[in-house]
Amino acid sequence: MEKKKVPAKIFKQEVIVFLVVIALLIFFCVASPDFRKYTTILTIMDYSYYIVLMAIGVAFPLITGGVDLSIGTGLVCYSLAGGYLIMFKGWPTGLAMIVSILFGLAIGTLNGILIGVMDLPPFLGTLCTCMITRGLGSICSKNTGISWPTTGQPGSWFRSIFKYETAGGTKIPLGFLWVLLLAIIMHFVLNHTKIGRYTIAIGSNKEAAILSGINVKFYHIMAYTISGLFAALASIAYSAVFKTVLPGTGAGFELEAIGGAIIGGVSATGGAGSIIGTFIGVFVICLLKTGLPFIGLQANWQQIVTGLVLIGSVMVDIIKKKREAKK
Amino acid sequence: MKKKVLATIVSAAMVATLLAGCSGAAAPAAPAAEAAPAATEEAAPAEEAPAEEAAPAADAAAGDLDFKIVVKSFQSSYWQAAVQGVNQAAEELGVKVECNGPNAESDIADQVNMLTNYINGAPSGIGLAACDQSACLDALQMAKDAGIPVVCFDSGCPDAPEGSVLSTIATDNYGAGATAAENLYAALKDSIASATAPVRIGEVNQESTSESITQRGLGFIDKFSELASADGKKVAVVGNEFYVNGAKDKGDEASADIIIEVAVPAQTTVELCATEASAIMNKSDVLGIFGSNQVAAEGILSANENLNKLGTEAGKDILAAGFDAGTVIKQAIKDGKMFGAVTQSPLAMGKTTVETLYKIANGETVSDIATDGYWYDNSNMDAPDIAPNLYD
Repeated sequence: MEKKKVPAKIFKQEVIVFLVVIALLIFFCVASPDFRKYTTILTIMDYSYYIVLMAIGVAFPLITGGVDLSIGTGLVCYSLAGGYLIMFKGWPTGLAMIVSILFGLAIGTLNGILIGVMDLPPFLGTLCTCMITRGLGSICSKNTGISWPTTGQPGSWFRSIFKYETAGGTKIPLGFLWVLLLAIIMHFVLNHTKIGRYTIAIGSNKEAAILSGINVKFYHIMAYTISGLFAALASIAYSAVFKTVLPGTGAGFELEAIGGAIIGGVSATGGAGSIIGTFIGVFVICLLKTGLPFIGLQANWQQIVTGLVLIGSVMVDIIKKKREAKK
Repeated sequence: MKKKVLATIVSAAMVATLLAGCSGAAAPAAPAAEAAPAATEEAAPAEEAPAEEAAPAADAAAGDLDFKIVVKSFQSSYWQAAVQGVNQAAEELGVKVECNGPNAESDIADQVNMLTNYINGAPSGIGLAACDQSACLDALQMAKDAGIPVVCFDSGCPDAPEGSVLSTIATDNYGAGATAAENLYAALKDSIASATAPVRIGEVNQESTSESITQRGLGFIDKFSELASADGKKVAVVGNEFYVNGAKDKGDEASADIIIEVAVPAQTTVELCATEASAIMNKSDVLGIFGSNQVAAEGILSANENLNKLGTEAGKDILAAGFDAGTVIKQAIKDGKMFGAVTQSPLAMGKTTVETLYKIANGETVSDIATDGYWYDNSNMDAPDIAPNLYD
């Protein structure tokens, strides 16, 4: 019974968020003639990949009722480590990517063990790994900014995974396809596999999950490992889109991803969520981030507006829950 | 229950580690403080020596002079360029120099130790790029007592004991920003003169709080306004409040021929600089854009990945000027994507330091020197006085 109800409710949220994205697009197009350009779409896409990937990953810890604060600094750390191997050790790009991904998986699993096995509060556990990855990133890169191979240099093929340039010079935001594909796969994983269903079960009632014989520790770890994996994928997207990665940055990226997931219908208290919704929710954040400068709003106002939008979407979630409780 | 105990222990261990990390940073300061008084005692006998030497040094043959230079570290190619300048000047003047520096710019205690050791050796003069403004103060007092002249370069020690630091040689950031404005204006002069509608010049600053960045930003705005006004154009400054209010003349946007739009991201990251840059570069009336440090300049280049508007060749809309060097910016200038950039001059700074010490040894009075930012573009990147300043 419960199973049928949840997706129906979430589906509504996805539609609402999708309409918000369309409304924002129309608003910015009307408000700024400069916004109505193909290059703007390219820019929004470019800046969305890493947030989308982080958001897909962090949705899992959020659905268990936890959170992963280490993904932002983690992203920068994995990217610095991989980039350092390319820049200073002459490693091929592909191998460096694998190192970045393994690094992400390791930190994710560590988070999982801290929270799932040792019962650290998620906020505290991932705050610690957030600090650790920030320090590690600076150490990995020996404190200098790192550039993954730029277009034209050998080993820059990975940039065309995300943005393919045709012979005619037209740029195609190919990355959108890949992140959409990953979102669909993870949507399926969340709703139709053991890992996903147990993630939801842990979030809605952990005691019940333990009593019904689920290996809660293992699935709790898995949720954080997925988050680490997607932070690592996001690090590759970030390296591909931006020219330099700076040590010491990354704190704050996770908030955009978490914000996107919550706007997209992931319950702030766990137990429910949608990956497709998360995918769309991130675009609300990205549209605000890219669009607001076009209408002449200063950076500080952009943050205020994004904050207000987040409050709005959490309120919708709370009001819905209250109504359901009344029924 | 067991789990909770375990969790508490692990949490405690983590907090302990964090605290240890914090105290770790503070620890090196302690030996520095201890080292200073110990060194003072040793310095006592040395005191007489420089006093005697000071007089003959004035007309001493250059070969007798020996200077010690303490850099912040050898970590970056920036400092290697500074050392190169030091050695060049030493060769030209025929003096002996010795350079040293800690492993990392954060090894403050090590640097203080090096400095006190040098003071004990009673050299003819010391050049110092202090890692920390206040950590060197005791040592500077020692140097003063011992009669050893000190010249600070790259970074000053504003609180140094009166009379210990005879000259400070550092980049004039306001002037460096103005240099960028001069070059960009010269290149855009014709398009500005022939424009029928108002044109726009962008500026991306990574923040509005540090002395160096704000001075560069304002230097650019003021110089650009000055040059344009001299040609009879009205200029208005819009955007970030700090820079608008800091500009000498913020003008009136409605009647302006040139609008300088200043953007500052909420955080100093490349992607936020890129977002701000692309919002400006998307406007159709933009002729030029300036990024006031490496992060901002790279943000502009990131934004251009999609917009493809930057370039020095015909058909490109926007000329971009950057700041500092680094592989990404150097490559962009080589490819003609970026018009040029201002680099600080570690080479000249090193050179001037030795020259100033030489002057002091010869009894000349010296004052603070602001070194220039050097403009470089595709045409002079390989020139012998520019290339060593373009670190990776």
